[in-house]
Amino acid sequence: MNKLKIIVLSLTLLCVLRLSAEDYKASMFGIKSNGTTLNTTAIQKAIDYIHEKGGGQLVFYVGRYLTGTIQLKSNVKIRLEEGAILVGSTNIYDYNINTNYSSLVFAYQAENIAITGKGVIDGQGREVAYNLIDQVHKGIIPDDLKNDRPSTRRPRAIYFRECKNVDITEIVIRNSADWVQVYDQCQNLKIDKITVDSKAFWNNDGLDVVDCKDVKITNSFIDATDDAICFKSHDATKMCENVEVRNCVARSSANGIKFGTVTSGGYKNFKIINNKVYDTFRSAITIATPDGGVIDNILVDSLYAYNTGNAIYLRIGARWNKGRTGSMSNITIQNMYCEIPNTKPDTGYEYEGPIEDLPRNISPASIVGIPGQDITNVTLRNIQLVYPGNSNPNYAYRGTKPADLDSIPEMTAAYPEFSQFKELPAWGFYVRHAKNVKFENVTLTAKGKEYRPAIVLDDVKGATFSGMKYNEPGGSKKQLHVYKSSGVIQKK
Amino acid sequence: MSKIKIVTIILLTVCTVNLSAKDYKASLFGVKSEGVTLNTKSIQKAIDFISENGGGKLVFYVGRYLTGTIQLKSNVTIELKEGAVWVATPSVYDYFGVNGTKALIVADGQQNIGIVGKGVIEGQGAAVLEQINTQIQKGYLRETAAQASPALIVMNNCSDIVIDEFNLMNACGNVQSYTGCKSLIINGVTVKSTSVKGTKGLLLAGCDGVKLSNIFFETSDTEISTTETSKNVSIMNCKNAAGKKLQTKN
Amino acid sequence: MGKANIYLLMLGLLFSVQLSAKDYKVSDFGAKADGITVNTCTIQKAIDYINENGGGRLVFEAGNYVTGSIYLKSNVTLQLNHGATILGSTNPFDYIKDKKIGWMSMIFAVNQENIGITGKGTINGRGFITANNMVNYIHRGIYTDPLKLDRPNETNRPQNVYFRECTNVTITDITLRDPASWNQTYDQCKNLYVDNIYVDSKSYWNNDGIDVVDCDGVVIKNSYFDAADDVLCFKSHSADHICQNVVVDNCVGRSSANGLKFGTVSRGGFRNFKVTNLTIFDTFRSAITFAAVDGGEIENIVVDGVRSINTGNVIFLRIGDRWSKGKKPYMKDITISNVYAEVPFGKPDAGYNYEGPVEDLPRNISPASIVGLPEYKIQNVKLKNIEIVYPGAGNPLYAKRGLTPAELDSIPEMRTAYPEFSQFKELPAWGIYVRHAEGISFENVTFTALKKDYRPSIVIDDVKGASFKGMLFNEPESKGKQQIFQQKSSNVVIQ
Repeated sequence: MNKLKIIVLSLTLLCVLRLSAEDYKASMFGIKSNGTTLNTTAIQKAIDYIHEKGGGQLVFYVGRYLTGTIQLKSNVKIRLEEGAILVGSTNIYDYNINTNYSSLVFAYQAENIAITGKGVIDGQGREVAYNLIDQVHKGIIPDDLKNDRPSTRRPRAIYFRECKNVDITEIVIRNSADWVQVYDQCQNLKIDKITVDSKAFWNNDGLDVVDCKDVKITNSFIDATDDAICFKSHDATKMCENVEVRNCVARSSANGIKFGTVTSGGYKNFKIINNKVYDTFRSAITIATPDGGVIDNILVDSLYAYNTGNAIYLRIGARWNKGRTGSMSNITIQNMYCEIPNTKPDTGYEYEGPIEDLPRNISPASIVGIPGQDITNVTLRNIQLVYPGNSNPNYAYRGTKPADLDSIPEMTAAYPEFSQFKELPAWGFYVRHAKNVKFENVTLTAKGKEYRPAIVLDDVKGATFSGMKYNEPGGSKKQLHVYKSSGVIQKK
Repeated sequence: MSKIKIVTIILLTVCTVNLSAKDYKASLFGVKSEGVTLNTKSIQKAIDFISENGGGKLVFYVGRYLTGTIQLKSNVTIELKEGAVWVATPSVYDYFGVNGTKALIVADGQQNIGIVGKGVIEGQGAAVLEQINTQIQKGYLRETAAQASPALIVMNNCSDIVIDEFNLMNACGNVQSYTGCKSLIINGVTVKSTSVKGTKGLLLAGCDGVKLSNIFFETSDTEISTTETSKNVSIMNCKNAAGKKLQTKN
Repeated sequence: MGKANIYLLMLGLLFSVQLSAKDYKVSDFGAKADGITVNTCTIQKAIDYINENGGGRLVFEAGNYVTGSIYLKSNVTLQLNHGATILGSTNPFDYIKDKKIGWMSMIFAVNQENIGITGKGTINGRGFITANNMVNYIHRGIYTDPLKLDRPNETNRPQNVYFRECTNVTITDITLRDPASWNQTYDQCKNLYVDNIYVDSKSYWNNDGIDVVDCDGVVIKNSYFDAADDVLCFKSHSADHICQNVVVDNCVGRSSANGLKFGTVSRGGFRNFKVTNLTIFDTFRSAITFAAVDGGEIENIVVDGVRSINTGNVIFLRIGDRWSKGKKPYMKDITISNVYAEVPFGKPDAGYNYEGPVEDLPRNISPASIVGLPEYKIQNVKLKNIEIVYPGAGNPLYAKRGLTPAELDSIPEMRTAYPEFSQFKELPAWGIYVRHAEGISFENVTFTALKKDYRPSIVIDDVKGASFKGMLFNEPESKGKQQIFQQKSSNVVIQ
């Protein structure tokens, strides 16, 4: 290669590099900011153009940009400046409803993509969902309307599938018609400083990370009707691994932080550190493997939950496992504080969680495997749970006699939810089908008198208690009830 | 009861079941489940429509359905699936009644009606009462608080009523009141209504043929109150919050 | 109507306003101004309470009050303060179709007296959403309607205001917007006083500005109307009633139909009108349409001072025989004076929501027209101090109606048709076309065509008695062109 050639090549490369860094203003592509012009095709043209030119940033300044489904492509970053709102069309036919990825912003096998800036993505999900329901009732779109809501086609705000190097920073995502944002089989996903406010319709999960690798979710605020921060595993050959969640705040009419429900492959190597949950209907943290997935090495450190219906729910089930055995091991939850009210924690939020599994007094935290599949190596360290107490055995009763304890159904095939067993025989912790459970420095407080003991162990092989504290009004009572268990050690 | 009667009843029941063959989802009528939209007129439209079109079941799935007074009509059954909650609006002027008793659900002279399912009817008693007291204080409401307080269910001169399974919570007035009704079956209902003083669980007057079974009552006043004018009232396995088995006074 | 009458009317209205002394806040009754809570029952309770307790004003302070149908009662005035908006519920089932009236409305009053809606607040029907929700329910089979023209019948969509058989009605200062059907209807009311209102009514089909039906004693002044359908619309639904003693002063209107309209339903008739200082702009059809097509009687109408800018047509007077049922219509003693009008070549309402329908083509720009029927002549019409500027450019290759007897007679009578200025398609004049009339006088009338037109300015056909004084015709390249053409007419005097 002669020198000239090298210079030409270098120049070319330089050009390419420069190009890829370039910002493109939305107006260049005829994209209109008036909130009424439908921009779908113009935004798509912009993305395709930038993608073909080697990449760059498509910048939206203050304004309302109405659009249907747009597909993000490799090396294209969407920048929503403060005041810019990407507004979802209310017409269901403006979305890619004939795919499994119905969404406002879609990406498939793209690399180096991003949505950043202080702007907003507003899905107008309630109107979209209502319009979809209308099309179903008119017989134009087929849907079984299970639970009186469309089972498919409701667009998410974001659906990225099999993408690499994804950056979601600072944006606000509002009002999705379904899950808010789904990252499915993505690698190297970074979510930082985002705000989710989505109580527009049923199934508004705040954030769904499905079978992804190398994920960092930090400094974000999520308020959603369904699970706030949610990990899933749809593919039995994949799993969610190497995930860190740090400094986030979550509010939900379901669970604050949830592993599941669909758990085909599993979850490995998670660090969930310094997060807050409040006004949340179900559990602050739920880790569930009902579909045969493997859960291993999960650390939850410094989780603070206020006004939350339940503290901790760990569950193995056998729902869609198709003969595979789910497992859960090496779970550490430490430095946790949780206050559980005797009123409904999510009262007043739109799409409140459903009152169900009645009659039932306040439910304890619970760790429930299934016979022959124990939840293994659970460490609970420096934990304080505050309950309202005041259970009424005449309203709902589950005693500690063998017959009572054995009457608790296994419900292996059921949808896993902390309340599923209805009345449980403990007010603080109920542990069943587990192996090697450590309680270290755990304080359980009931503000009113309880007819139940604080902790019931049933079919537990190896349990160590140290530094336990029970606060309940009235005289001292036996707070630990052990049934069909072995190797239970109580230290001071 | 003679065998012929039983056969007749079974036949009638079969007929009724056939009549209410059709299920209607609430969303067909634009009923909204987010807990904020006042659905009174949409639910009423649905009931009127179903009653006028041969009867059926109006089904509510998980969600919160804000509403004022609803009038049940013949051959319509309301089904509240588990997780479905009818939420009473706190707005006092959204209620009316029959026989001088206001209620969230009223029925007058209707046949073959029911409310079933594992859902909840939430009266928001404390919030409604607060509004009532404010309006009385301002002089706009010229009734006593007791007169203005809506019950959850009031039925007058109705027959073939099935009230099954669901939860009745926090009435502002009494929970249920039936006058001059025939063939009333209430089974498996949970009543938790202590947010307002003086709430009675169930009032029966001039009713004929009432079967109460498996009802849990936690109320701020008497659980069951029947006048002597009611006959053929049976109570089976009903208890209150203190665990006491409840008996009819007749 | 004499001046004394008008003053008496105004005094009477003033009196009724003073009666409503006591104020009640709607929020005190528990109404929520959150834009979400449906307040129907609470607002109704408040109205009933004030009505039962000596009357007064129900005051809405700033905020958004959602409601369905409510009934206003005697001696109650709805006072909408600045920033207060009554929002119509978007749920069609929140509205009542009143049995007597046969229409849906947000605010009804039937047989009440001393009522009003006042203040600088707004009534917003949100009719576009409500109407479309209704369409959905009809498709789902929940509500029955044939969906003629792919829209629910007018009566199955809520208006903002419908008052029937009320006495002493005051509507002042408010803004009325976005109904699902007509906007505000006053039907068989006595003493209606409308002052300084603002109307924006183009959210759905049939959005009229104001409908005054069979009322006696009406003042409408200082008001602004922008409507998809007719703006200032007087109707007569009942053959036993008549719209009479009406003053319209200092109003501005914009429409994708007509500006000032009598009809279409015109069974009883219209008598003693004085319309002054009227401005009509960007209007698709006629600035002024008087129609007696259903046996109605139109008599003693004075229109003085009209500016009509960018309107598709200026004057259309029409007797027809549509739903007359044997009743004999007439139209007489009409004076229209001091008019300046500009008719554009393009579509005058282009760009507005629910533009008027392009129809009756092919046709060059239509002239003003006065068209009776052979047996029912329009009588005694005086046009004085009038200037109309037309675009001209009538092209006979596109559409032609010549002046031969055969061609003039080929213009259909269309006695049973819906009356609209364009109904005859091409007309043989570019300025004004008069047919079946008696005693028509033109005084100081200027017609300008900006471009050459193949037609004469004026054609009169079957006119008994016509006088032209001070006529001026401006048309390029028209030296020696005969601008007034007559057929089958007598007693025609041209000065």
